[in-house]
Amino acid sequence: MGTATHHPDEDILINGLKSGNQGAFREAVRLYTPGMMAVARFYLDHASAEEIVQDCWVTVIDAIQTFEGRSGLKTWLHRIVANRAKNHLRKAKREVNADFSEALDPDLAARFAPNGRWATPPSLKSNESAQALMENGALSDCLDQHLSALPETQRSALMLYEAHQHKSDDVCNILDVSASNLRVLLHRARQKIFLMVETFQETGEC
Amino acid sequence: MLMCRDLARIASDYIDGELGTSKVMSVKMHLLMCGRCRSFIGSLRASIELMSAHSSQQLDEDLVRRIDERVSESLNARNSGGTKPE
Ligand SMILES: [Zn+2]
Repeated sequence: MGTATHHPDEDILINGLKSGNQGAFREAVRLYTPGMMAVARFYLDHASAEEIVQDCWVTVIDAIQTFEGRSGLKTWLHRIVANRAKNHLRKAKREVNADFSEALDPDLAARFAPNGRWATPPSLKSNESAQALMENGALSDCLDQHLSALPETQRSALMLYEAHQHKSDDVCNILDVSASNLRVLLHRARQKIFLMVETFQETGEC
Repeated sequence: MLMCRDLARIASDYIDGELGTSKVMSVKMHLLMCGRCRSFIGSLRASIELMSAHSSQQLDEDLVRRIDERVSESLNARNSGGTKPE
């Protein structure tokens, strides 16, 4: 299989960035800032994350000249953010707090009988498509609420893997976690979303 | 024997194809016999799809505006040949 994962549009965008085109920067900022924030938020509080992401964009104006396109623009940008955020953490002598010890969410764990079978089985109807569900504005708001309530580490892992469709290796690299710890973060976050959708479908409330 | 709780613990790995062959076999065996876990896997899959459909839409317009301003300041300073204000 080919190694180039980016499409022609990305090449046009990269050329625009390299020539310092304002429009290209505007487009890239809209396109890549959400993912960059997800990376920064893994390491830092919201205010510091915003600061780091802004600084990164200013850095990119010069740094883009050295971009060779081996990794794809998104991954490259995410690595820049991760490195800056890690430096920031190091200077503040702080560490990322994450719980990797248990793959099962406590609320889900409570639904099994001592013999390991379901005591309170899932009540979700999975026959509605994701697209149909998303058209429900209330569900969308509820999802926002629950996403912001997730521990930062879980949310960042979820965002990078799911929404930004990074490969596991890239996420591990960017977030500085082992493959098995990434699996725990992802699974924990997904269970929370599962529980939320279940409640919402059952009660119509968030 | 794989119990429902064990399956729930490794459900994401199963969905993402991150399990070894023998683990996959025992999950499949379990799913064949257990409607509750079939429903759980189906629902977890649906939640994952929902997540990706949802979170790609998030954009903080205020942050984007602040970044645009800083970037164009720097670009202008650069294009006018002046030194970058730090
Ligand atoms: Zn079962």
